[in-house]
Amino acid sequence: MDLLAQVLINGVLLGGLYAVMALGLALVWGVLNIVNLAHGAFIMLGAYLAWHLYTYLGIDPFLGLPLTAIIMFCVGYALQRGLLNLVVRAPMFNTLLITFGLEVVLTYLAQLAFSADFRTINPPYAGNGIALGPLVVPLARLMAFGVAAVLTVGVWIFLLRTRLGRAIRATAQNLVAARLYGVEPRHLYAVTFGIGIGLAGAAGSLYGTVSQINPYIGATLTAKCFAISIIGGLDNPLGVLVGGLVLGLIESLTVLYVGATFGDVASFGILVLVLIVRPSGLLGKTA
Amino acid sequence: MAHTVLRTSGALLLTLVVTLLGAPAFAQDIVLGASVQLTGPVANTGRYYKDAYEFAIDKINAAGGVKVGNVKHKLALKLYDNQSDVNLSVRQYTQLISQDKVNLLLGPFASNFALADSAVSEKYEVPMVEGGGASDQIFARKFKYIFGTLAPASNYFASTIDMLKQLNPAPKTVALLYADDAFDVSVAKGTKPLIEKAGLKTVIDERYTSNASDFNSLLSQIKSANADAVLVAGHETEILNFVRQAKSLAVAPKMYSFTVGVPSEDFRKALGKDADYAFGMTAWLPSASLKDRWFGDAVQFAAAYKAKYGYDPDYHAASGAADVEALAEAIENAGTLDPKKVRDAIAKLNFPSLYGTITFAENGQISLAQTVIQVQNDKVVAIYGGKGFIEKPKYPMPAWNAR
Repeated sequence: MDLLAQVLINGVLLGGLYAVMALGLALVWGVLNIVNLAHGAFIMLGAYLAWHLYTYLGIDPFLGLPLTAIIMFCVGYALQRGLLNLVVRAPMFNTLLITFGLEVVLTYLAQLAFSADFRTINPPYAGNGIALGPLVVPLARLMAFGVAAVLTVGVWIFLLRTRLGRAIRATAQNLVAARLYGVEPRHLYAVTFGIGIGLAGAAGSLYGTVSQINPYIGATLTAKCFAISIIGGLDNPLGVLVGGLVLGLIESLTVLYVGATFGDVASFGILVLVLIVRPSGLLGKTA
Repeated sequence: MAHTVLRTSGALLLTLVVTLLGAPAFAQDIVLGASVQLTGPVANTGRYYKDAYEFAIDKINAAGGVKVGNVKHKLALKLYDNQSDVNLSVRQYTQLISQDKVNLLLGPFASNFALADSAVSEKYEVPMVEGGGASDQIFARKFKYIFGTLAPASNYFASTIDMLKQLNPAPKTVALLYADDAFDVSVAKGTKPLIEKAGLKTVIDERYTSNASDFNSLLSQIKSANADAVLVAGHETEILNFVRQAKSLAVAPKMYSFTVGVPSEDFRKALGKDADYAFGMTAWLPSASLKDRWFGDAVQFAAAYKAKYGYDPDYHAASGAADVEALAEAIENAGTLDPKKVRDAIAKLNFPSLYGTITFAENGQISLAQTVIQVQNDKVVAIYGGKGFIEKPKYPMPAWNAR
C-alpha cells in the first residue's frame, strides 16, 4: 500500500515536470501550427543556461528561472523573426523539415560548445525529500511541480484575459479578421514562439535540477512533449497539465505493475488510444 | 624514330626517378581503421577510444613504428564518427575495408556496436581487435576475426558478489536491475547464477529500457522490498539519474554497485559528493606492476595520458591503447601485413602491457579479473581483488541525511 502511494506521488510529480516541458510545444503548435521538433533541444539549451548560471554565477536554478526564460524568449523571438517566419503558413512538411534541421544544428553546436560531458545542476537541497510517514516527497520535484502549475495557470490566464493573449488567440483562429482589427501578425507570431521557447528554457532549468544534462537529451524530450500535447489537447494549457499528469501516472504505474521496459509502450499506447477516441485531446473540444 | 626513342628513354628515366623517389613508399604507413562514437548519445565514452587509439599510435610511431620483416612502418589511423548509430557504423567499417583499404581494424565502443561490426570483419576476413564490447554474445558465434580486450560481461559482478559474502553485516537480499541491451543483458545473465550460488536472495530482478530517465518507481520498489545490495547494469546517464533519484527518495540500501560510471572522472564530477559510497568494478587500475614495452608501465601511461587529454584514463582508454599494441605486436610476430596471417598471430599473442597480459581465449576474448572499486571522498579506491580486501570498504552506506 505504501508502495502504491509512493508510486502515485512519483507519478504526479513526474507529470508536473512533463507538463511544463510540453507547455511551450503545445502553445506554438496550437497558435502557429508549427510542430517544433527542436523543442527538446531548446529545453536542453535552457538546462545548459541554468547550469552555467548556477555553476559560474551561483544563481539558484529556481531563482534564475525567470532569467533563463527571458533569455530563451529573446532567442525564440529572434529565431521566429529571422527564420521560422519563412514557413509560418507553409505546408506542415516544410515546418517539420526546418525545425528538424534546427534540432540537429542546436544539438551539434551544444556538443561543440559544452562537450559530451554530463552535467547536473546540484544545489544542496536538490536531493532532499519531505518525509510523510513512510512516504517521501522529493523536494526538487515538488518545487518543479509547483512551477509547472503556476506556469500553466499563468499561460492560461494570459491567453484568456490579457490583450496580447487575446490577440494571439484571435490570430490563431482567424488571421484575416485579426489583421482587420489591427493585429500585426509577424510580431505576434514571434512573441508566441518566444513564449514557447521561454517556457522550454524554464523547463530546462527544472530538468537539469532533477535529472542530467547532455547535448542529446533533446530528441527524446520532444517525443514526450509531442505525446503529452496530443493527449491533453492544444486548445487549452490546462489540457497539457492533464496530459502530463496522465502520462506521468501511467508510466510510473506501468513500471510498478507490468515492468520497467513497458513504460514507453504504455505512454505511446495511450497516445494512439486518445487519437482514436478523442482526436482533439482529453480536454479538447470535440467537433 | 629518334623521337620515339627519346620519348621512350624519357619515360624510362621518369619511371626510374619515380621509383627511386618512391623507394621510401615501400615503408608505407600501416593503416588501422576504426569507427567510434564522437557525437551522439554514446559520445561520452566513445571519444575515449579516439584519444586512446591516437595516443598509442603516436607513442609507437615515436619509438620508430612497427617492424614488418626488416622494414619499419609507421602506424596511421583512419577514423570515422558513427554518430552513435549502429547502422552507420556497419557501413563505415565496410567502407574502411572495401574503399579505404585499411590494413587492420580497431573496434568501436559498446557491445551492440561490436556485435554488428564484427560481422563486417568476419565477412571480409580482416581481423578486428576491439576494446569496447564486453558482451559474451560477441564471442559466442565462433567468429575468427574478432578479438576483444574487455573482460566478459557475464563476469562483471563476480568479484563484487565474492566480496558481498565477506562484508559485515553480510547482505542477504539483492536487487538486480539491467538495461535492455547486449552488454547489460549479458551481465545479468552471468550474474543471476552467481547470486544464487552465493546463497543470496533476489528480491527484485528487473530489466528496464535503455536511456530511461525516471527510476522513481523502481527505487520505490527497492525500498519497499528492502533490498540490502543493489546491482545495476546500465549506462552512465541512467546511473546518474538513479543515484540522484535515490537521494531524493531517501533510498539507501546497504550498498549499491554499478557496471559503468564509477571509474570515470566525468561521473564523479557530475555527482559531486553524492558519488561517494558507490561501488563499481574495473579490470584495470594504473599500477606500476603492469609493465609496457612502449609506455614503461601503466602509471607512466596514465600520467602521460592525463597530461595530454586533461582527464584520467579509465579502463576504456587503457583497453583501447592495448588494442593498438596488440595489433602492433601481432604484425611484428607475423612478419607480414596479410590479414589472415596477422589474425593467426593475434590468436597466439601473449605479451605484458599497460593493460595487463594480452592473450585471447579460443573465442577471441581476453580474460581479466574485475577489481571491486568504491568512490570514497571523491576518489576511486580499489577495495577487493582476487586475493581478498585491498582497502577497507565504506559499508554499510549511511542514510542520505546522515552523510
